[in-house]
Amino acid sequence: MLVKLKGGRIIDPAHNRDAVGDLYLENGRIVEKPDGREPDEVHDVSGKIVMAGAIDVHSHIAGTNVTLGRQLMPELPVLAAAEGQPILPSPAAWGAYATGIRYAEMGYTTVIEPAMIPTHAIEAHAEMASIPIIDVAGLVVLGNDDYTLNLLRSGNEKSDELKDYVAWTLSHSKALGLKVINAGGSEAFKFNARTFDLDEKVPEYGVTSRGIVEAMQKVVADLGVPHPPHVHCNNLGIAGNVDTAIATLEATQGRPVHFAHIQFYGYGKEGDKGFSSAAPRLMEAINKHENATVDVGQVLFGQTVTISGDILRQFDGRRSASPNKWTINQGDGNGTGLVPYNYKKKSFVNALQWAIGLEIFLLAEDPWRVLFSTDHPNGALFTRYPEIFHLLMDRDERARWVDSLPEASRQVSNLAGISRELTLSELAIITRAAPAKILGMTDRGHLAPGAIADVAVYTNQKNKTKMFSAADLVFKSGELVVRKGNVVEISWGRCYHVEPGFDSQIKRRVSAFYNRYYGADPSWFGVTEAISDHPDRFATIRCKS
Amino acid sequence: MDSTLERAAKLLANARFPIFGGLYTDIKGAMAALSLAQKLGGVIDHAASEGISRAARIMRETGATPASFGEVRNRADTVVIIGDLARERDPELLNTLFPRGKTLPRPGDNKRELILVGTKKGKTPPGVRVTEIGGKTTLPELVALLGASVREGRFELGDAALRRKIETAGARLRDSAFAVFVYDPAELEEPVLHTILEAVRHLVKTTRAATLSLSAPGNGEGVNLCSTWTSGLPVRTSFAHEVPETSIWAYETERLLKTGEADALVWIDALEGDSATPPTKAFRGVPAVILSARPVRAGRDDVVIEVGAAAADHDAALYLPPIAGIGIVKARSKNKNKPTVGDVLNRINALIDAKGAA
Repeated sequence: MLVKLKGGRIIDPAHNRDAVGDLYLENGRIVEKPDGREPDEVHDVSGKIVMAGAIDVHSHIAGTNVTLGRQLMPELPVLAAAEGQPILPSPAAWGAYATGIRYAEMGYTTVIEPAMIPTHAIEAHAEMASIPIIDVAGLVVLGNDDYTLNLLRSGNEKSDELKDYVAWTLSHSKALGLKVINAGGSEAFKFNARTFDLDEKVPEYGVTSRGIVEAMQKVVADLGVPHPPHVHCNNLGIAGNVDTAIATLEATQGRPVHFAHIQFYGYGKEGDKGFSSAAPRLMEAINKHENATVDVGQVLFGQTVTISGDILRQFDGRRSASPNKWTINQGDGNGTGLVPYNYKKKSFVNALQWAIGLEIFLLAEDPWRVLFSTDHPNGALFTRYPEIFHLLMDRDERARWVDSLPEASRQVSNLAGISRELTLSELAIITRAAPAKILGMTDRGHLAPGAIADVAVYTNQKNKTKMFSAADLVFKSGELVVRKGNVVEISWGRCYHVEPGFDSQIKRRVSAFYNRYYGADPSWFGVTEAISDHPDRFATIRCKS
Repeated sequence: MDSTLERAAKLLANARFPIFGGLYTDIKGAMAALSLAQKLGGVIDHAASEGISRAARIMRETGATPASFGEVRNRADTVVIIGDLARERDPELLNTLFPRGKTLPRPGDNKRELILVGTKKGKTPPGVRVTEIGGKTTLPELVALLGASVREGRFELGDAALRRKIETAGARLRDSAFAVFVYDPAELEEPVLHTILEAVRHLVKTTRAATLSLSAPGNGEGVNLCSTWTSGLPVRTSFAHEVPETSIWAYETERLLKTGEADALVWIDALEGDSATPPTKAFRGVPAVILSARPVRAGRDDVVIEVGAAAADHDAALYLPPIAGIGIVKARSKNKNKPTVGDVLNRINALIDAKGAA
């Protein structure tokens, strides 16, 4: 069926396009205007904004850690809704099904789960397969697992075994890329470390955090995995951690890297309270390092729960749990920490975190390298993205928020002095084109013929919160799934992953390792097509080598 | 088969408040049961949900400090076994937790020790020092005394020998690099579970500690996880209203059947090994759809559907303790003639939809 979207303002920054025109969809793809054929269906979108479906590069939507969060905080949607957050007051509102529905209603069509545990990949994929409409992918976590650490043991830097192991793990868990969370820090926590820095050595193994990140960067580049290592640095959330972030950035030596939720590293320790915005310094460094991309991890005020494989940080964070309950899951590899948290506008620190995130977005010279995220649910629930778009695109809205902050936070933030407003094109870059580019998902994030027909249509209005909360129309793979902000058709998306090659010897070695130390067989956690009943569930993204 | 499924669909479509119990099934079976329960406004429960529900409630109230099997067997220097049930359920437990041969790097330089609280000694691993804390004192009291000792708190205890043991154990736990309390929550009341959790939370102020809660039989943890990612709530949840609601007491299978609140039962018993016998006495008078992998006695009006046993007749995703998560178990010999629980429930679901449309 040939569908025509007629007369909309097409915003496609991947092709420098911001102009009124028509868009044609057929067989799940965007197509050229066909000669001599009338469309089967025409949607008059004149006066509307037409963008590619949005892509979320970092959102905790599935897997063991998220479900532990649900077990700890079933009341999260109820508490959040009571504060006026846009979520239904039901425990099911952050279940798998509701996740797909709400994302689609906002015009999102692809979401990346950034912390899949290798041994728990089955659960992550089973959960992702229960999320309707959107396409998904998972990043698999390595770097605190004993197999990796053993290979990186000081004096043991040999052979291609790490490369084979990473390739095997990516394939076995059907992951799109590699995630490294506080490299070595979780292992150090097992030896009762309570802090862990870039150049500290992992107990018993001797390798440093820097060494782990460098090794993973090299391996991922050698394997040709399109998405660079997705790195969660050391010292998250600690005053003065901008130094860690910049040192980690410099350690990358020009090799591709993605830093997650960088807002949580934009902290200086100036001022009476020993906590200040280091966003300008951080952005100066990021602007300079063209090899690096980041997502922001913006904070909004209100109730949420923090979910992280950075168990060391979460253990420390337990003291600020609100409501006062927490879970520290000492699992294989990274483990997880779950700490409910309520960002308060009246809190000096929280208000500054909020401002630092926005400063980072607004100080970015190249929006292609500073991507949108709240690190859902850690900074804010994904259902609140439109509020942040509004803040980024409307300085009056920002000023209204800033005016309500504590005097002390206002004084040390640079936000009030920034007049920049993101344009629709820039928003389309940070929520569509750039995520697609860094994930290697070249078939989306843009609107050229040949692209997957993931399209969101919005009514342009000054109130960007309203505008982006409910898309007028959303097409997923060419199928109309949302009309006037409501899902009208349930479809089932695909799961994207890479299949880098490896020497099959690694299977025997990993098998012996799991057998000896865990009494387990790696075949138990190998993901196959059978995880989903939907045909063609999995699609491979090609590696470069 | 089709007419049997038609009868089942009719029975369930007419039900006002059906309960999906047993749930000895794999993840796909659980997903299909949840989908149908949500559609019909029913309840989901699991035959081994007593311990799961308690642990889930404590998790909601205050959190948890679990460790994986792998972490315990490789890195714990002190293992505290509380109660009998953990070893009754898993006779190999101590051999798993104290493997012979090399382990991964372990914190501290303590020799590994085993402390048995309120449980008979039985066979213990060779070369591991064992302390028994027991006698006539009840298990909840023993745990409370140990909790007090961990905190170096004062406690009354006439039995001097027991007192010495408890004080020594408390000191050992404080000196441990990674102490782990192992139990089956089905054996312990909630206050006891709280006491253990608080002892762990005291210890972690200075060192490392955790709990290892034995997983329920019948893929209980797997079904519970699936319930959580689907509905946001654990088993013993009702979908009768717009917002799902969980209650340990209100949505327990036998109670719902005995009181007549539930007017239909779907009973699922389809795993290799573990078996969940339908509560025949309790549900007499309540019509049932029984999905079973083994012969079952049923009432005249009941609909019995033979299904394959997960992990015997078909591959299955199940909770596997050694990886502390859901994994795939390959079928011993695939039997394509026997449908899976997921297949059957999804077909019933479609038949109910078709009836609604007609």
